Parts: sequence; C-alpha cells; structure tokens
Amino acid sequence: MDFFRLLLAGVREQRMLFGLMAGFALFPAYTAYADLPFWNDVAMRIMLLGMAAMGLNLILGYGGMVSFGHAAFVGIGAYCAGISQFYGLYNGWAHLALSLGVCGILGLVIGFLALRTSGIYFIMITLAFAQMLFFLFVSLEQYGGDDGMSIDRAEFVLFDLYDPLRLYYLIWSTLLIISVVLLFLVRSRFGVVLQATKNNESRVEALGLSPLGFKVTGYVISAMICGVAGTLFASWQEYVSPDIMHWSRSGELMIIIILGGLATLAGPLLGAVVFLLLEEFLPELLYLIAPDYAENWMIIFGPIMIFVVLFARGGLIGWISRFGAQRIYRQGDGR
Amino acid sequence: MDIPFWGAKNLSTGRRPVTSPVLNLANINKSYAALQAARDISLSVERGQIHALIGPNGAGKTTLINQIYGSETPDSGSVFLNGENITGLSVPKRVRKGIGRSFQISNVLTDFAVIENAIIAEQARRDEAFRFFRPAFSDQDLIAGAMIVLERVGLQARADDLVSDLAHGECRLLELALALSGTPSLLLLDEPMAGAGPEETMYMTRVIESMRENVGILLIEHDMDAVFRLADVITVLVEGQIIASGEPDEIRANRNVLAAYLGDEG
Repeated sequence: MDFFRLLLAGVREQRMLFGLMAGFALFPAYTAYADLPFWNDVAMRIMLLGMAAMGLNLILGYGGMVSFGHAAFVGIGAYCAGISQFYGLYNGWAHLALSLGVCGILGLVIGFLALRTSGIYFIMITLAFAQMLFFLFVSLEQYGGDDGMSIDRAEFVLFDLYDPLRLYYLIWSTLLIISVVLLFLVRSRFGVVLQATKNNESRVEALGLSPLGFKVTGYVISAMICGVAGTLFASWQEYVSPDIMHWSRSGELMIIIILGGLATLAGPLLGAVVFLLLEEFLPELLYLIAPDYAENWMIIFGPIMIFVVLFARGGLIGWISRFGAQRIYRQGDGR
Repeated sequence: MDIPFWGAKNLSTGRRPVTSPVLNLANINKSYAALQAARDISLSVERGQIHALIGPNGAGKTTLINQIYGSETPDSGSVFLNGENITGLSVPKRVRKGIGRSFQISNVLTDFAVIENAIIAEQARRDEAFRFFRPAFSDQDLIAGAMIVLERVGLQARADDLVSDLAHGECRLLELALALSGTPSLLLLDEPMAGAGPEETMYMTRVIESMRENVGILLIEHDMDAVFRLADVITVLVEGQIIASGEPDEIRANRNVLAAYLGDEG
C-alpha cells in the first residue's frame, strides 16, 4: 500500500506525532482506571487547541507568515455551530461543512488582501481583521453579543455526543485526519514550495512560480483547519462567545507553536500539552508558595517561555530531538 | 570536471527561425527622481549569442536587466521576448515564457539541500507545483530531472549537501543551474563571476560557454578577461546611455570606451 508506505516513511517527526496520538487514544482508559473523568476534559481541550495550532503552524511555521488573527477562524468555526443551532440545525456534519466553507471563503478574502503585505504590516492587518470579526460578534445581540450563547452538543447522526467518550474520540479522529493531511501536505510539491517562499521569495519567483498563490492557498487551508477546531470546540464547551476569538487567543496559539516547535508536525500538539498542563498546574504550584498570586501563573510561565525561545531553538521538539526542527521532514525521504 | 553538453533537443522545436532575436529592447527609458538609469536603450540578443553589458558602477546595467526580467518596469519603451511584447508581464510569467536569471548576490534556497533546490526548479518547469499529496523530495522522477539540472553545471556530487555548506563558487553554479532549469531562451547573468577566484572564474567561463548554443545570453560582468573571451557582442553603458556597441575588437579600439571605462582597468 503506497499510502501507508508514504505515511510511515520518515522517522523522528512521525514517530513523535503518532506517539502523541497513541497516548491520547489510550488516555481515557487511564482516566477510567484512575477515576479522573475531569482529565478527559482537559485532554479534549488540549487536542482542540493543538488542532488549531497545527492549522496555524502551516502558515506560521512552514510558510513564515505571522498571522496574528487566527483565533478569528476558530471563533467563526464555533459560531457556525452556534448560529446553526440558533436556527434549529443540529446536525454536526452540517456544522463542519458550513465551517469549512465559511472559513475557506473568509480565509481566501482575508488572505488575498493581507498577503499583499508582509512582515509587520501583515501581522497588523491580520490582527485588524480578527478584531473586526471579534467586535462584529460582540455587537450581534441576537446571538448573545458579549455574553455569548449556550448551545447543545451537535448531533452526529450515527453517534450521540452526550456520551463524553464519543465526543473525545470524534475530536481524536478529526485530529488524526488533520495530522495525516498535514503530514502529506508539507512534504508535497505544494508544501515544499510553500517552505521555499518562506526561505526566499525572490528565488521562487525566479523559478516561474507566483509566491502569492501558494501563500494564499496555505492561508486558506490553515483557516479551514482552525474552523474545524472551533466547531468541535463549541460542542465541547456547549457555549460560544466572542471570547474565543479575542486577540489574546491568537497569541496563545502562537505561544503554543513556538513552545512546541515551529514548522514541525508534532510541535503544536506537544506545545498544547505542555501549555495546558502548565496552565493547570502552575496556579496550584503558585498557590502553595504565594496564595494571593495564584491566578498570576503567567509570572512563572513567562520566564519558561523566554528560556525556550533563547535556549531551545526549534521549541521542545527541536530540544528533544537535537536536530534542526525545520529539516526533520527530510530525514525520511529515503534519499 | 567535464562540462556537459546542454540539451540540444529543444532547438528543433523552436517556434521562430533561429535568426530572429530572442530579446529585443525598444527605446527603454527609466529614471528615479533626478537619476536617469536608462536613456533610450535599444538592443537585441540573438539565440546562440553572448551579449555582454559592461560599464562603470552605477551605469544602469542591473536596472536594465531588472526591466527585462520584470522586477522593474520601464517608464517608456518595450521589451520583446521571441517577438512577443512582455513589457507588462509579472516576473513569474516572464520566467515561464523563457527567461532565466542569476543575481548579483547569490539567490538560492539557503535552507534546503542542493538537490532540493533543483527539485523545486524541476517541478516548476513541469508546472506541477500545485500538487498536495506525494512527497516531492523523494519522488524518483523529480530527482532524476533535478540531477540533470545539476549535471549541467557539474554539481551532482554535492546534491545531498545543504546549500549553506557550499563554497561561494558552487553557490554561483547552483544559481546558474536553477536559471537554466526552465530551459529558457534568454539567460540574464548578473555578474556570475563576482567574488569567485581565478580557477572558479575559468570553470564558470567554460560552463557559460557550454550552454550558449541554445540560448541568448545577456551578461553583466566586471571581469574583462572573461567578457572578451565569451562575448560575441559588447555593449557599453555609461550613465544609462549606450556609448558603444559592437564586436569585442571594435570595443577594444573605441576611444570613448577607453576613456569612460576600460582606461580605468589599465
């Protein structure tokens, strides 16, 4: 089977990615054994944030486009579920299809406009679009405005999501599909050109390829992945509000990617694991030392982040594998 | 190292007779504020011909090449490639119509391996870049094509090395290979010998000579030995103006040129 041969070709990165996925697959068995159902919830949140970060990493890490507004697509995905339910459409597949469509079109428009600029201007224009969408949803009183709207878990015809494990494995399989898609995408002809535009745009032009087309396509795919994450996030949270698309959420996604490793497949997922575990444990830790400051866990997280950026180039993945994280995908090429 | 013979197969399929110029510039003007970088420049390059563009620094040589390449547009005048007016086209479109270019400062994909540079060039040539499934860098078909690209300049032994590990001269060769990869009809070489040692310059001269057969080459170069060895026609540009154009012997004897440029070289 060509598909599986190509899937398994390569060493380090895929092993890490599939290892993490295997861990998530078995995790509910552990929580059931240890009677810690709360941790299933945390794991789901990790997978959802990891999914969104993987989507953003396609353009941030592989494409070198620093989009500071990708939480907007997560939010749009969530509102696709919320607003559908508002009008009585509870089918989860329909929500996902809608989310892919809306985020695709919106990604195309925003990407096409924003990618005419680069560098700091690109960062600012993506942030501006995200803020626009944020305030749009804040002002939509009909859909809860600032307060957001409570929703039900979507119906996925064949299975009922009120069994928490079904939602867990729905998220898990979606994440697996997205991982495999990205795994092929970044090594494909399209993927290597996308990475080439990050390295040297004028060389890509000199080869007769228009960088804008590749970057916009990458931007659209990345927006769609974030949209899917958002739609599932809505079902997980049973609640949608503009807070999910606040600019600080975009920053969180970037932190997760940088923490885990830019331009790596497993990086964003590993980053999400570490980020959310720190978010879970640092306040408790801080509470032991200085109870009054427990909620300011970022005081400790900040220095950790600085340490990672300064000393673990290529993030945790790069640190673990001690290889240039950017080049890992090449090692399995069998040349 | 052997200089490979560069693919003659495309010659017979050329749409136009061999004698028509590959490149034709008609009355190109370009100025930046007070500086006139091109004044009414007209020149042509034939297939199989090496046309050298020389002149002191700031004469407008690179600006002229940029206008042919498409990264800058002339204020007035037209650029014809194989008889087609390409003045309004973007860089990628011009490249696909048959322009290959090397830059004054090496312009290659530095984060990638040598072969990976060539593979990306090869998939661009085949117009296969918008494919999303099969891994590109392990595609045997692309690798075979990329090796041919590298063999043209004799870099096949360094295929698996990272570009950042290449010596300066090898980097220039890689850039030349990439410029050739699209089987262009016109090659724009902006100081290919810059920064190269004497041996590298000799080798580069032979490589350029080996590929002249099927393309028109417009060459900017400061190494006068190389220029007089390679060029069929030399055009001298001073302050955006052509002050002389002709065969090497004519140029060598031209008083204006001696005064303006060659005199400096002793």
